[in-house]
Amino acid sequence: MEKQTSPYRWGMVVDLDRCSGCGACVVACQAENNVAICGKKEIAEGRNMHWLRIERFWVGEYPNVRARFLPVLCQHCRDAPCEPVCPVYASYHNPDGLNGQVYNRCVGTRYCGNNCPYAVRVFNFYSHQWPKPLENQLSPDITVRTRGVMEKCTFCIQRIRRAKEDAGGEGRLIRDGEVQPACAQTCPTEALVFGNLADPRSRVARLVRSPRRFRLLEHLGTHPSVYYLKGGGREHV
Amino acid sequence: MKRRTFLQLGGMTAAGAWLSGCRSANEKLIPYLVPPDEGVTPGRAEYFASACRFCPAGCGILVRVSEGRAKKIEGNPDHPVNRGKLCARGQAILQEVYHPDRVPQPLRRSGPRGSGKFTPISWGEGLSLLTGQLRTLQRERTTERLALMTPQLQGTLADLAARFMATFGSPHHIRFDLLAPDWLRAANRRSFGQASLPWYDIAGTRYLLSFGADFLEYHLSPVHYGFAFGRMRQGRDTVRGHFTYVGGRMSLTAASADRWMPARPGSEGALALGMARLILSESLYDAASLAANGLRPDRLSAGLEGYDLPRVAQLTGLSQQVIAEVAREFATTPPSLAMAGEMVAFQENGAEAVRAVQLLNVLVGNLNRPGGVYPGGGPVAGPENSFADLLALVEKMRGDRMGVALIHGDPLHAIPQTTGFPEALGRVPFIVSFSPLLDDTALQADLVLPDHAALESWGDVIPLAAPRGTVIGLMQPVVTPLHDTRQFPEVLMTTARELGGGMAAAFPYQSYQEMLKETMKRELHPAGGIDLETVWVDLLRQGGLFKTEGKRGKGYRWRAEAPIPLPAEPRFAGDERRFPLHLQVYPSTAFYDGRGAPLPWLQQLPDPMTTVVWDSWVEINPGTAAGLGIGFGDLVEVTSPRGSLRLPAVIYPGIRPDLVAIPMGQGHRGMGRYAAGRGANPLVLLALPPSETGPLPAWNATRVRVARISKEGGLVTAGNPEGSYRGELIEI
Ligand code: SF4
Ligand code: SF4
Repeated sequence: MEKQTSPYRWGMVVDLDRCSGCGACVVACQAENNVAICGKKEIAEGRNMHWLRIERFWVGEYPNVRARFLPVLCQHCRDAPCEPVCPVYASYHNPDGLNGQVYNRCVGTRYCGNNCPYAVRVFNFYSHQWPKPLENQLSPDITVRTRGVMEKCTFCIQRIRRAKEDAGGEGRLIRDGEVQPACAQTCPTEALVFGNLADPRSRVARLVRSPRRFRLLEHLGTHPSVYYLKGGGREHV
Repeated sequence: MKRRTFLQLGGMTAAGAWLSGCRSANEKLIPYLVPPDEGVTPGRAEYFASACRFCPAGCGILVRVSEGRAKKIEGNPDHPVNRGKLCARGQAILQEVYHPDRVPQPLRRSGPRGSGKFTPISWGEGLSLLTGQLRTLQRERTTERLALMTPQLQGTLADLAARFMATFGSPHHIRFDLLAPDWLRAANRRSFGQASLPWYDIAGTRYLLSFGADFLEYHLSPVHYGFAFGRMRQGRDTVRGHFTYVGGRMSLTAASADRWMPARPGSEGALALGMARLILSESLYDAASLAANGLRPDRLSAGLEGYDLPRVAQLTGLSQQVIAEVAREFATTPPSLAMAGEMVAFQENGAEAVRAVQLLNVLVGNLNRPGGVYPGGGPVAGPENSFADLLALVEKMRGDRMGVALIHGDPLHAIPQTTGFPEALGRVPFIVSFSPLLDDTALQADLVLPDHAALESWGDVIPLAAPRGTVIGLMQPVVTPLHDTRQFPEVLMTTARELGGGMAAAFPYQSYQEMLKETMKRELHPAGGIDLETVWVDLLRQGGLFKTEGKRGKGYRWRAEAPIPLPAEPRFAGDERRFPLHLQVYPSTAFYDGRGAPLPWLQQLPDPMTTVVWDSWVEINPGTAAGLGIGFGDLVEVTSPRGSLRLPAVIYPGIRPDLVAIPMGQGHRGMGRYAAGRGANPLVLLALPPSETGPLPAWNATRVRVARISKEGGLVTAGNPEGSYRGELIEI
């Protein structure tokens, strides 16, 4: 395990016992990060640009059937399979444990996307439009990605940066709960909790100690920073 | 002067300048957060508080504004309804402002009705056309020939509309809204003698039993109850609240349940009574509660004689063992909570079925206690049968007794055709629409006077579900109006002023904003004598008036004269042999009743249960589909006694074999490029079952048949129909 050089190791907990699958987080992410509007054709080609998707699984058969929801976003792996394959270092690891993507370095080989076991990287196969005056909604904090560039969830790094500036100005560290990505901020059931895993007293660090904890595709050894908590009960369905 | 102060002043002047566009130059925009001390970065976004009126839940919002443009909508953490959270729809209303197909100025029809041909005109011309029509009614002393159709308005706007119509001299203000909780008010009046809406303490309950109440999607206040649901599950150290859902279709809400009971459509009330009878016979009831409600267990038992377990099992299609188990769990896990929702109320016997569910709460003592149900703090009064008002209006329109219809909303899309509304409206000589987009109703209008988008408007929003006290969200124009539009209430007021006389006298205000201030003044201090200006600035900054302390009102108590609820055998429209399947229409998670369809974020949002994007579909049980030779994505035809529709099929494991379901929201003729011509509107299929007492709003009582047409359904899903193609993700 490499040495921790930053006081932060950002991570997220997704409590599947709370998540209702409502999709509020998906729209929050799209709004915050200037994620492109994709039409039917593009989605039919499997090229939806959403950074965060809700997987829906049917388990069992009528009448003993259940539906399960699984929000999937970039897992910000500590040993990220997408990083070493990028020939131009566009996919990189930052000291806070974030898996970053430098848009203006990306040359569009899509190796990273192919190597991601969670299929959370999305590629701009098209040049996306915001018909006038819809472009007014675009956030000035985020670059609008052009055709040929790979993109993905950043844990809303612009918010983390701003929180760091604010905290730095006051000579302190970011407080627990002070910064959250757009998805966690809006989630009605508070299924998504974001915070500093390096701080054992943070809410996310406490939740991660839950016996309900698991990670996606743990056997691949990617060491994701996103932890899931199993849905409890539901024994009768 | 500190740098920060300087920049703040600069910002305020700019804000003042924007607002002169909506005739309120003396107003400054009050940011929600005072920026931190080290200064305002030029270009750094500011937040302004407002309220969401997309659905009647009325959540509080904060709008991030940068350089005069709205960038993002977030929940207002101080608002007691949504506490900083928002649903997908509330966040997407941003796209209402910047929608590329907004009506930029008033339009006059220039081709035949419905041709979509309009000529742009000025507001002066538009208003004189409207006042001209109204003057004619006044001159001919036929003011009752004016109709106003709106959704169920609240607060100042409701007051304004009522005053407008009363002063003008017309009783025809119709507030019909398919999803409005009239049915719940009516049931509460019949059972408890008060029509106030309930507030459910979901966060505090240990056993939640929902009869078709989809409180995580659209029922009353989805964000409020979604928040509570998270707490019910994992917010307490030692208790995880249990959730059982009753309903023939597994809704998004039902998907979160521990147990799903797919009762036969129309049998939900009988199921509730079967449980009640079992609770009585096994003496699991709360004797104190029955006594407090003036009910005697022996009499109740006698009244519920017919609801023995074998019969209820046969009526509902559920096993006796499961029914008994749930009844016992419900009675022995206090505090428990039973809720009834639209999917039960919209059955032909829905009115009594809802009351049967209420009886369960009385029986085990869930009224007025933590973890149970209280009379809520939302709007006290509201329509209890706006459907009857609608039918009466349709009758008058048919008889050529209406001269002018002013319409806010899109009733041509949102009112089922079986009411006869579309043809009847066609007979009204002059139709005015206030829609910001050319929706289905605006396309039929003679005059379109486009309203502002929500983020450009003033208003007050009274949430449907609030625990107690007074909660009023304030809407303020957080951005300058983009087009030459005017706010609907402002237009009514200007019209009244132009008409002069009593009409002008009824509105002694400079602007709608001033009227709004008056309302708030009354709310704050009925006796008067406060410095409103200071308080007003505070209210705008925080997003409204949130008084959540104080005593609760009078609790629920079963009325002495209230009869025991006895839902009759359900009736359906359509003969069982010709139409073997039941049809359920349900509000779409993304579009609600259809008002979200023009927003591309919502079109692109995969439907949570099916992952379908940009479309509508019909859900069919896998067994039923196999029997009909229908595969996933096939184009099928759904036929009811009233009409037929073609749309793609989704094979849906969570639905009864004798039921098919179609989401509401698509199938618009107009409403801009993202919605027009997309998908199908299931309301055209609805027929109303026969009834001696006149038609009932039984929207889930239509029978249909389904036939396969071709392979080309054109359906696109964001996910694999079976779940993720990376199946190993499943470890849950
Ligand atoms: S917003 Fe929360 S509850 Fe809704 S889908 Fe996302 S994680 Fe689940
Ligand atoms: S629940 Fe209704 S009021 Fe609240 S954010 Fe969603 S649409 Fe708006």
